[in-house]
Amino acid sequence: MVDKVTLQVLANHCRAAAENMAYTLYRTAHSTFVKETEDFTVMVMDRTGRVVAVPMDLGATWYPGMNYNRAIDLVDEYRPGDIAFTNDPYSGYLATHAPDTHLWKPIFHEGEIVCFVGGHVHNTDMGGAVPASLSRSLTEIHQEGIRFPPMTLMRDGVFDEKVLRIMMMNVRKPDLNMGDLKALAGALNTGERKIQAMIAKFGAKGFMEGLDGLMDYAEHQAREILRSIPDGEYFFSDYADEDSVDGNPCRLALTLTIKGDEAVLDFTGSDPQLGSSLNVPTGSDPRHTLLLVGVYYVLYTLNPQLLLNSGLTRPFTCIAPEGTVLNPSFPAAVGMRSLTCGRVRSLIFGAFSLAIPERMPAAPAGSSSIVNVMTTDEKTHRSIIAAINPVVGGGGGMPHRDGPNGSGADAAYLKNTPIEITETEVPIQFVRYGLLPDSGGAGRWRGGLATVMEFKVFAPNTRITARNRDRSIFRPWGTLGGLSAEPSNFIINPGAANERVLGNTDIAVTEPGDIIHIHSPGGGGRGSPLEREPERVLLDVARGYVSVAAAKDRYGVVIRDGAVDAEATAARRAEMKQNAHGGHFHFGPERDAFESVWHARNYAALTRLLAALPVHWRFFTKTKIFAAMREAGPQADVTSAFGSVRRDYPQVPEIALAAE
Amino acid sequence: MSWRIGVDIGGTFIDFCAMETGTNRFETIKVLTTPNEPGKELLDGLSLLQERHGVAPEEVISFVHGTTVGINTIIQRKGSRLALITTAGFEDVIELARLRMPEMYSLFCARPEQLIPRDLIHGVRQRQLANGAIAEELDREALADVIATIRSKGVDGVVISFLHAYRNPAHEAQAKALIAELAPELFVFTSSEVWPVIREYERSTTAILNGYVHPRVAGYLGALEAALASRGVPAGPMLTKSNGGLMTAETGKRACVNMLLSGTASGVIGAAYLAEQAGIANVLTLDIGGTSADLALIIDGKPQFGTGETVGDFPLFVPSVSVTSIGSGGGSIAWADAFGVLKVGPESAGSTPGPACYGRGGTRATVTDAMATCGFLGHTPIAYDQIGMRRDRAEAVIGELAGLLGLASQATAEAIIAVAVSEMFVEVNKLVARYGVDLREFTLMPFGGAGPMLGCFLARELGIPHVMVPQRPGVVSALGGLIADVKGDFIQTIFAPSAAESLPRLREALLRLKADGSAWIRDEQGFTGQVIETLSADMRYHGQSFEIEVPLAEPWLAEGDIAAINAAFHRQHLAIYDFNDEAGEVQIVNLRLVVSGTTERPGLTPVPETAAGAAVPERLIPVWLDGANQEVALYHRNALRHGHDFSGPAIVAQDDTTICIPAGFEAHVDGWLNLHLTLRTEA
Repeated sequence: MVDKVTLQVLANHCRAAAENMAYTLYRTAHSTFVKETEDFTVMVMDRTGRVVAVPMDLGATWYPGMNYNRAIDLVDEYRPGDIAFTNDPYSGYLATHAPDTHLWKPIFHEGEIVCFVGGHVHNTDMGGAVPASLSRSLTEIHQEGIRFPPMTLMRDGVFDEKVLRIMMMNVRKPDLNMGDLKALAGALNTGERKIQAMIAKFGAKGFMEGLDGLMDYAEHQAREILRSIPDGEYFFSDYADEDSVDGNPCRLALTLTIKGDEAVLDFTGSDPQLGSSLNVPTGSDPRHTLLLVGVYYVLYTLNPQLLLNSGLTRPFTCIAPEGTVLNPSFPAAVGMRSLTCGRVRSLIFGAFSLAIPERMPAAPAGSSSIVNVMTTDEKTHRSIIAAINPVVGGGGGMPHRDGPNGSGADAAYLKNTPIEITETEVPIQFVRYGLLPDSGGAGRWRGGLATVMEFKVFAPNTRITARNRDRSIFRPWGTLGGLSAEPSNFIINPGAANERVLGNTDIAVTEPGDIIHIHSPGGGGRGSPLEREPERVLLDVARGYVSVAAAKDRYGVVIRDGAVDAEATAARRAEMKQNAHGGHFHFGPERDAFESVWHARNYAALTRLLAALPVHWRFFTKTKIFAAMREAGPQADVTSAFGSVRRDYPQVPEIALAAE
Repeated sequence: MSWRIGVDIGGTFIDFCAMETGTNRFETIKVLTTPNEPGKELLDGLSLLQERHGVAPEEVISFVHGTTVGINTIIQRKGSRLALITTAGFEDVIELARLRMPEMYSLFCARPEQLIPRDLIHGVRQRQLANGAIAEELDREALADVIATIRSKGVDGVVISFLHAYRNPAHEAQAKALIAELAPELFVFTSSEVWPVIREYERSTTAILNGYVHPRVAGYLGALEAALASRGVPAGPMLTKSNGGLMTAETGKRACVNMLLSGTASGVIGAAYLAEQAGIANVLTLDIGGTSADLALIIDGKPQFGTGETVGDFPLFVPSVSVTSIGSGGGSIAWADAFGVLKVGPESAGSTPGPACYGRGGTRATVTDAMATCGFLGHTPIAYDQIGMRRDRAEAVIGELAGLLGLASQATAEAIIAVAVSEMFVEVNKLVARYGVDLREFTLMPFGGAGPMLGCFLARELGIPHVMVPQRPGVVSALGGLIADVKGDFIQTIFAPSAAESLPRLREALLRLKADGSAWIRDEQGFTGQVIETLSADMRYHGQSFEIEVPLAEPWLAEGDIAAINAAFHRQHLAIYDFNDEAGEVQIVNLRLVVSGTTERPGLTPVPETAAGAAVPERLIPVWLDGANQEVALYHRNALRHGHDFSGPAIVAQDDTTICIPAGFEAHVDGWLNLHLTLRTEA
């Protein structure tokens, strides 16, 4: 009884099942990762493991297009009452770093599997070299915690005690893991009840056909959107600031080809796999969800009625060559892939901006530092570890309005903690928590402002960690004449004699009385700032979002005594128009300087060279070529830099280069 | 002879119910709102009550009303122009809020425009610490400059919110005094006087909402008092609160934030009263109006309370009856997308122009039009004949949509109802999962104008076996006000371990809460009857970021029985989250006291059973139901007597709504003339 006209009824029932699972998990989970960060997902799948429905209220935004199929097939047998699981990034490419534990449960009707329900939680710790199992400095997957290949976790509704004991023995917070696993299993059982109710309502056959209908529907919606985008090839590249601790930039490249109602995302030209944990494991899956998260955002933005399920991935094909940062070979470390995933999203936003400039915003801040403090309470002498606020930046300027300040776009799911709560629990004192003036990219529509957080510490050896730090060098870009935003920074004692500028550093040891300052990047501007109404610039100045100096320098609006000086503004704007940049993107001086050496030709040469080398030589060779290039100065050339590397390291294998 | 009157003011109609003390005679009327002449509808209603039912104004000893004036001020952004003064360095707290935004998949997600723009927010140097100690004195000179600036910008009032003011309100009080001195024309609210709770954003927002609606609410209540006085009503008007209780209109003029969910909350209170009367413990209430549906759970006879309900675009952090509001109602518009899939909402025809069938200018197909097309509506006058039913217009707009879909009109209408019901199905599922309850143990109680139309369809979808439609579904909120208690909430943040060392602070806090509560209910509300104090604490395990409210017994504090306090917390945690940690360190974040003064409940007696067995339908009417044209029995509600039975499919028409009963339901009328509809279970 599911026909097309009433497909929405089934869609709502499936979503209700997903929402129900999400609320159940959220209510019963133990860890702050689930409760606060909402780093979890749940989903309803078809009988092959393709996601058909996800919640819209709770959880992370990464997996509506997920396919569990490869992991499902790695488990030999399924019986009613079973739950299977894995956290291995390299088995089935479901869990994309070791803390993520995915569970799935087959739903039977008359002895046949009609569908699956599943989901993941980010465990606080899975063991391994460092607490929380995540660090940029790790180099192979074995350091990132214990891994379980796809296997049965629950049989006939009973947990496999042996498996649990092995896990609990190897992790640092066994109670939290256990609590979250139970909560997720409980959510899957809730999902099963909801599915059985749907089978009773729609009939098993009607239900299964209906799931196909829902995926066809999402596919149709995605194709309809693609048809509205002009055919063409759109190339874009973006960089993570560092490919490892104090490393070189990590380049990601994308050629987006739109043809009719299909799209190819070719990531060739992205860096080789890294000797840090910034790799993104995708297993050569042409529709791997981590490569498509940016696409979900774009499609949903273009049609907010979009049904989010794996059907919408069908018109897309991804190409990510093996042995590269977006498709690393075992045993590359992958723990901090979320930093790189942020850049993959900006890569996709940039390519779509080229394809449909009139409908896309400028770059969002794109980097959210997750800040933790480890200090000592002077009253109790107890050691305290606490998560402080995430430091999040604004959205990019939109086609019809400014980017939101202090959060937005692909960071909108993050939450903060009240200052009063933190100050009561953690012996630190906030000095400032707010928006950073002049940090949003100037434009016809301004980018959202950055967040700035400053606090004072009191105990010796207080350690500050700030995960996912990026965009301290390469700025969120502006589009269509809009300017790039201010980059992020991490500074101890700003402006004082003992100031330390830490940039992307993710850990700092501080002294009593130190002031810790972290600010996010801002969002990029969209459209020429010279076209922003002077009154709106004046309002920004009155609101403290833009300084009087920046109003003049960036917007050409001269403000005197709280009013726009129309004459001076006209003159200033006329003068600025002469020198206005004309490109689609505005990247800022850092990227311009970098690309004056590392231009397209050098990157093409580097990509060809490294692709020809065995995987274990690539990151090493890249690092050496970068050093040689720096030495060679502004006219540096990759081919000759490679020659000098080869002279220093004759062990570098001979390679046969494909013709250019 | 004397009368008590309850009034609920909605978007389209005002509902009145009047109860005669002693006889318990109960009369209801409904009048159209007059948006252009606020207050007029009230006097109209009083006149009508006198004409029809002999209610003399001078005999009204109690007048309780719920109003949307506060929430509408926020939704329509018609509140006062305010300035905000904060601790320097924290001026952006209200813009950043808790960061997370709605529509998290959209690159165009954005925050609502703030009620106070950033250019009217000023930081002043001063600082309290978490323990209340003053780390930096208030910079009075800088404050004086800020006051001068604010004055020059032309504002109506000022909100002051300093960090940790819940712990030490001294600087807020000093700042308020300075404003009174330098700018006496400005009204001032401080965060610590409005709702002194930890969490700077939540406390600031509460104070801002209060200040934002204050002038309009105070003006409205003043006019109301004058109108009642002009008619010679001796009772001072009372106002229903978000917490389901009452306060005097006089209190409401300053404590405005407490009345934002005025009518909504009293609907749940009214429903709980009706359920208790009928002996039903677990209820899902479904109040559907033109533009929205309000859902709430009554568990074991108790409405659920919480904070964080949304008003307009803003979260509300004062204790409120938990009501989930969804943008789906009788006026929700049906449309078809390019793939040929039928959608309902989120757009709504609202009360103006309303559904096409109301003949007030609506031209698009709504859920109500679908009901009309199926033949459910229009068999008796609607809303006491104040609205004419134009079934032809409904059929025209539904027919247009049916053409696009390639379906027959009636099949389209039925599909619209199915989609609309499935939208509500999603929201109910979320609510149920949040509370971890099993709907099979619940009764659905639909009320409001459109609730009874859709109630059975939703119950069938949810697997709720039992529906109870009150005798007068239109006046449940007004009734809720009539039986509500005078009720005030008091809070003090403790934020300390739940351990013996904290006892002195807890006892001191309790003394203060009791003193404040007593002053409020005795002196301010003038309540002379028996007062009930309910003590509770917001508690959590160390490291958690949210609290749960745990009822406490006063002797536990007096006797220092920390074990009992913690045991109560562990139990409650297990009940809500399915686990607890009895070895875990427990914290008390807030101590709360609710003082309530009981209002005399009308001692309604059931009517004697006068009808046994099958009710006789008025006539058979043709309707489209469950995929077929059927001849269905039409009953008039007024003709249904205690003891009557009948089976679905059936339509019950009454003055304020229509009840649609699909096949499979057995109907029975009880002694309070509630209609009980039970889903037959297939054996």
